[in-house]
Amino acid sequence: MQPFLIQLLNGVQLSMLVFLLAVGLTLIFGLMNILNLAHGAFFTMGAYFGLVVANSTGSFWLALLIGPLLPFVAGFALQFFVLQPLAQRGRSTHLDLALLTFGLLFATAGAVEHVFGSAFHSIVTPDLLKGRVGLLGMEYPIYRLFIIAVGIAIGVALVLVIDRTRVGATLRAGVDNREMVTALGININMLFALVFGFGSALAGFAGVVSAPVMSIYSSMGIGIVVTTFVVVVVGGLGNLKGSFYASLIVGMTDTFAQAYVPEAELFAIYILLIAVMIFRPQGLFGAVGRIA
Amino acid sequence: MSADVALSSEQRIGVLKRLPLPASRRAYAALFALFAVSLCALPSFVSGYVMTLAVEAMIAGVFASGINLLTGYTGLVSLGQAMFLGFGGYGIAIGTALLGWPLWISAPVTLVVVAAIAAPIGAICTRTRGVEFLLITLAFSQMFYGAAIKLRWTNGSDGMTGIPRPDLSLLGVSADNPTVFYYYVLAVAVLSLLMLWRIVTSPFGSVLVGIRENERRMMSMGYSVANYKIGSFALAAVICAVAGILQSQYTYFVNPDAMSWQMSGEGVLMVIIGGANVVLGPFVGATVFVVVKQALSMITEEYNLFFGIFFMLVVALFRGGVLGFISTLIGKRQ
Repeated sequence: MQPFLIQLLNGVQLSMLVFLLAVGLTLIFGLMNILNLAHGAFFTMGAYFGLVVANSTGSFWLALLIGPLLPFVAGFALQFFVLQPLAQRGRSTHLDLALLTFGLLFATAGAVEHVFGSAFHSIVTPDLLKGRVGLLGMEYPIYRLFIIAVGIAIGVALVLVIDRTRVGATLRAGVDNREMVTALGININMLFALVFGFGSALAGFAGVVSAPVMSIYSSMGIGIVVTTFVVVVVGGLGNLKGSFYASLIVGMTDTFAQAYVPEAELFAIYILLIAVMIFRPQGLFGAVGRIA
Repeated sequence: MSADVALSSEQRIGVLKRLPLPASRRAYAALFALFAVSLCALPSFVSGYVMTLAVEAMIAGVFASGINLLTGYTGLVSLGQAMFLGFGGYGIAIGTALLGWPLWISAPVTLVVVAAIAAPIGAICTRTRGVEFLLITLAFSQMFYGAAIKLRWTNGSDGMTGIPRPDLSLLGVSADNPTVFYYYVLAVAVLSLLMLWRIVTSPFGSVLVGIRENERRMMSMGYSVANYKIGSFALAAVICAVAGILQSQYTYFVNPDAMSWQMSGEGVLMVIIGGANVVLGPFVGATVFVVVKQALSMITEEYNLFFGIFFMLVVALFRGGVLGFISTLIGKRQ
């Protein structure tokens, strides 16, 4: 029973990490209709920037705070100076933009490898969150519980912001009718770039948060971003709540496959995705998609 | 057949307008002939190194041609075509090494099996479109990539070695000779190209272009759009598998890296460089890509960095590709 509970918690922890990435990806897609394949690059960027901060200050908390700033700036700049102008000039379709970010994903991995080498790094767990805690008659690392708490807190905060605040209302209006929002005097390009930056910052935040339990290496973002894609497709592209549930489903599937069916560990989540695609191509929680 | 009748003349002109080099078919044919002649003569006046590059470019060109059928003609951008490249390589590796079949049985069986696997995969993938299609093809290829790493009877991530080249002793030559292998690859590449040309100029090809341009209209005209897409997907898969067979024969081995995500991306990049929806485009794109890759590997070890930057520049600045660029030049002059 206990191993099962530990796997369950590990699954939730992985789910929350993936959720931090998926939420940004799905927000950007829902709002701007851009599939940002480079989302994993911001994950890598945040982790490495956090690593630099942690190494120079010795503080995990500063790394957690400052680490996401670089991906924020990079994401903002990418949307504001590259993607937005390209889309506006009408030269590029959404697919072109997706392919462009595909190039960015590999360019970032290459650049990181150039600067930091291909070695594996890690950020030390902060003292406050070291050790294990007794839980239902077993021991569980505090830090992993911290990840779970952070994921849930951010999920709840986002839902509140989007459902209950003026900014959220503007965002939802932007999804529904871009022109109308512009006509109401809102600088939608700036808003979109900020959201892009925010989504990227969340990915970078996930990078720092994951650093004490997973290794930091140059192509870390390329691996996790595919899992994130599975999550957003299962949850329905552009669906925030869907991505939360889908994160849990995918995280659990992955963790339990690794624990109990190790032969299937590398492809269990894809089988899940394919099953979803056969029965609900628009995603488990998505509205019926538009056609052609 | 029925496609021919159903497309109105106006629409057919519309389709033709989008074909490469309008009104200069003869120039195109002449270019093609010149290209073919120089390729045949190539081994007699270049070094082995250039020939190696030419072989790589031709194999990549076949791979990119398969992607082009799906992406350029049907308008479905896939990031998972490398799985079929891997299927081709693994197919003949399993056939020859594990089952002990001769190559002339293994290769056709591989292609038939690939088509049989690709059809249901295509049926699932083509339920989606746009970026969702891109993601699900990516997921499929990642799944097979993971399976190839895990499978023990194909040696996991080490892959399989000892893949045979064709036995040409009847002609008194050995395919292990680089020049002979070059001609073998050239022959297969030309055959694939002719097959592709036949496909895209057929009524079937016109329907694919119609789907790309206006799927809903094709639907309302009574075409079973879903079946055409699946057909395009399976044909593209077979062409990619041909490239996979050549690739594994060229290197004598196959490993899961053949199915990697990056490989699919490289193929899409070649199609973009060459200009999507031009039959010869992928070969031009593949040549540019192989040459740039070689040049990069000589000046830097950070391949990923420059691959990424190159990719971004091509997508952002070079829509229509090299041939598209030439085509607009000629179009302007006329």
